[in-house]
This record gives sequence, structure tokens and C-alpha cells, in this order.
Amino acid sequence: MNNHSQQNAIVAKGVSKTYEKKVEALKNLDLEIRKGEVFTLLGPNGAGKTTFLRILCTQLMPTSGDAYILGDNVISDPEAVRANIAMVPQDAMAYANFTPWDYAYYFCLLRGMDKATSKKHAEDSLKAMLMWDKKSTPCQSMSGGEKRRALIAATLASDAQVMMLDEPTSGLDAIGRRNVWSALRERAAQGKTIILTTHMMDEAEMVSDRLAIINKGQLVTVGTTSEIKRQVPFKYRVIVPENEIDKSKFSDITKIGDRLVIYLKTDDEAIELVRVMLKKNVQAEAAPVTLEDAFVRLAGGELE
Amino acid sequence: MNLKKILRDTWIIAYMKSVPDIKRQPLMLIFIVALAATPLFFIGLFAEGGASGETFRIGLIGVMVSSIGFIAISASIQDITWDRYVKLREMVVAMPVHPLSYSMGLTLGYLIFSFPGFIAFTLYGIYLGIFDLFSLAVVVASTILCWLALSAIGFTIATYQHKTSPNTLGIIANMLSFLFVFLPPVYYSEEMLGSMSWIVYLLPTSNAAALMRYSANLTEWNQTAFVLHWLILIITVIAFTLLVIKMARWREP
Repeated sequence: MNNHSQQNAIVAKGVSKTYEKKVEALKNLDLEIRKGEVFTLLGPNGAGKTTFLRILCTQLMPTSGDAYILGDNVISDPEAVRANIAMVPQDAMAYANFTPWDYAYYFCLLRGMDKATSKKHAEDSLKAMLMWDKKSTPCQSMSGGEKRRALIAATLASDAQVMMLDEPTSGLDAIGRRNVWSALRERAAQGKTIILTTHMMDEAEMVSDRLAIINKGQLVTVGTTSEIKRQVPFKYRVIVPENEIDKSKFSDITKIGDRLVIYLKTDDEAIELVRVMLKKNVQAEAAPVTLEDAFVRLAGGELE
Repeated sequence: MNLKKILRDTWIIAYMKSVPDIKRQPLMLIFIVALAATPLFFIGLFAEGGASGETFRIGLIGVMVSSIGFIAISASIQDITWDRYVKLREMVVAMPVHPLSYSMGLTLGYLIFSFPGFIAFTLYGIYLGIFDLFSLAVVVASTILCWLALSAIGFTIATYQHKTSPNTLGIIANMLSFLFVFLPPVYYSEEMLGSMSWIVYLLPTSNAAALMRYSANLTEWNQTAFVLHWLILIITVIAFTLLVIKMARWREP
């Protein structure tokens, strides 16, 4: 790991991927992900998040560039990389006749663990995913969320140094999502590096140490949630009915149906707008800008 | 390459891909045995000599070949396609597992799956006095070669057809199974085909069945044909295995 910081679990340098028919999924992506952090890749559909994860997981060759996981080159030394990674792919489905135990236990054996260690890891991860009671139930008899949790449990059981989860909580209910977040934070506290992709801003905000926004195959920004929110030039947002306001007075407005989201830079502007609305007997509240506001702005969402 | 790890992983994958299915869907096992045995049922009913005639004995060899062959060709296509579809393969790629373990594990899994039926039919053949020690050795060796050849052919089809939908490949797999198992001289002797008897050399299933018939004295002995059947089986295994190795990729380009 001569050229790479010992603090980084993943280093990507100029990673590009062009698929057949000249579709450019990734364009010269540079990214460093630190050891022991939960790192989220945020981006609109087709931004290149899954392509990037698949390259890191040695499933896909980049067109150009280099990537390292714990110092091992993803392109030239995939076997060394595979010893340290585990993955839950996007839209992965569970085998009908497999049980959660089959997944967790046999995946541990395939990673080279002995039977006793495999049993211990499988039990721990299934308990963490609240799947212990269903450990012997074939996946065909489980709900979509339970199947998803079974796959996540199999990945957590791996004890891999770097775990990559592509939209892990899609299809999970609120309790299931929080359960997954909690397990991921615990793994990060143990020094594991967690990379996930998500469309859910609350998930990114709740679970990530840092996150990157990717759009059209390019890195837009990277940082903590607060750092990213600070990159947008406004502090508050106020949601008001469209017909209650003179739009020409405001420069940053997003239209959502018959409502307007008005972005404001200062406390005074926010207080003044709320005051005007209340005077008109219209409910209005100034709230701090959210990660979603920053994401839409930075990822190129159109503002009126 | 750690040979011990490769063999251990092969066994784990074979176990994963067979035992849960056998445990939780034993009907599938019965279906495969019943499917292979159906032609024998009709042969026993309608052929000359009934269940004690020579046609029935030839048919029993056909059942043994098809109990292995049907699942080898069908499962090798469908499993690879299905693993890709449900993304099990992606999860396995992101593990310290050699691609050889994966393909050998799948192949061994089919054998485990078809083993109970094959053993039952072989024991029945011994009970009927069809097999002696020499013919049993031929049965085992030709069955293994037939199983390897069909799995390699299945892998090759699945590898080359990686953009075909799982449903379409499923239909292709079943059609190929019928083509490989029920049409060529597997349940019957190639002599029945007259001038078309060369068809027996075309497919691994008919080559294996022919070898078993020779060893059990159910066909007139022909040393050249006996050697040729072995050679064709071995060449098929090697050729399709090389094709799979050349084309199969753990990582997409």
C-alpha cells in the first residue's frame, strides 16, 4: 500500500466505465473511503452507484482507472480483494428452499471459517437482524422484508473488513430499517468499513459518517451530512401554497404541485416570510434545509 | 490456488445446491425418477417379453442414463441462469471462492440430486442379473463421463446465452433434456435405427447408454464401436470444459 494512506479502506483513482453502446456509467471517479466508517453513495437512478460497487466487488472491469481495497488492487489482484469483502447486491432475491441459516452458515464456511466459528457468526448476525426465530424457515415462506434481512444477515456474518450493501433497506419497514442501521453502525464501531447506496435521505443522514453524491457518473461532492448541507447557499426552507405568494421576490424556489418550497439564506428572511404567511392565516414553518434539499440542488435537480 | 480450499468449497456449494432442495422438496426427486422411469413402464407393458425381456433390460439402462442426464443438462443451464438472476452469483463472486469451486460445486450438486434414483435403478439392474463387476465398472465410468459432458454442455449454453431471459433458457433447457434423453438411442438399441444408427455417436447420453449395453451383453460386441464411444465421451468432456473455461468469466468485461 505504498501510495495509499493507511487510513483508507478504499481508494479509487480515475475510475471510468463505458458499457456497450457507448453508455458512460462512470467518468473519472476519484474517491477515498476511510477505514471503519459508514460511507453512503447517494445519487439519482442511473448515476453510476451500482456500477462503482460492482467494480469494487471485482464483478465488473472498469474501462480505465484503478481501485484499491485495503491496499489490494481490484483489477490486478481480485483474489486478495475478495478475501476482505462481502456484498448484498441490489435486488438480490433469496433462494426459495434456502433458510436464513443456510445463507449465513454456508456463506461463513465459504469464507474459510471453521464450523464452530461459522455457527457463532451465523447465530450472531441472525439475532442482530431479528431473524433468529425464523432461522429454519425456508425463504419461500417469508415476507419480502424478511428475505432481505436474511441476505443482509449473511453478509454481516461474513465478518469481512469491507461490507458493501446496494440499497440494503429497500422493501423494509421502519423497524427493519432501523434494525439494519443499528447493525451497520455496530459493525463500523468494530472497525469494519461499510459502504452502502441508497435513495433514502433519512437513511443516509442517520447511518453515514460521510457520503458522496454521484450524478451522471461523476463525483459531485463528498463530506459529512453537515458539510454537504453547508454547500448549498441557503439555510432554511419554507413550504407555502403557490397562490399565496409573489414568486418574483424569491430567487430559489422549487415547485411541488400546487406548493412552493422557498429557500432562504438568512434567519431574517425566514422569519419575515413566516410572519407574512401567518398574517394571511396560512400555516408556514421555517425549517433548516435537509440533506434532500442539498442533494436535489447538488445533483442537478431543477429549481424554478 | 489452494487445492484444499477449492475442494472444500466445491463440496459446500454442491451441498448447498442439492441438500436443501432434496430436504424441502422431496417431490422433485420423485418427479425426476418418475420422469426417467415412465418410458420403462410402457416398455414393460407393451414390449416383447414384458418386464423380463431384453427390451426391458435395454430400457432400464436408458432409465439409468436419463436419471443422471436429464438433470445434468437441465439444471446446469437453469442453475447458472437462476443464480445470475437472483444474484447469488454476485454474492459468491464477492467471496474468496474460486470460480472452479463454483462450477464443480454446481455439477456435483446435480449428481447428488440424481444419485438416489440412479442407485435404485442400478440395484434393480443387479437384481435382474444385467450387471456383473465389469459392466458395473463401465456403468460408473460412462455415467460420470456422461454427467460431466452434459454439465459442460449446459454451462457452455448458459455462458454463451447470458443475455437470454431465465424463462427462455428454462424452456430451452427442458427441450434439450428431451432431445438428449428421449429421442436418441438411450432407451432402445441403435440397431432399431437401421441406416441411421450413427446417431448413437452424436450425444453423450446415447454414447453412455451404448457402452452400458455393450458391457451388459445387450448388444452384439463391437470393439471399435466400444472404443469409439469412450473416445467421443472423453473428447466431448474436454472440448466443452475448454469452451467453458475460455468463455466463463467471474468478472464481466
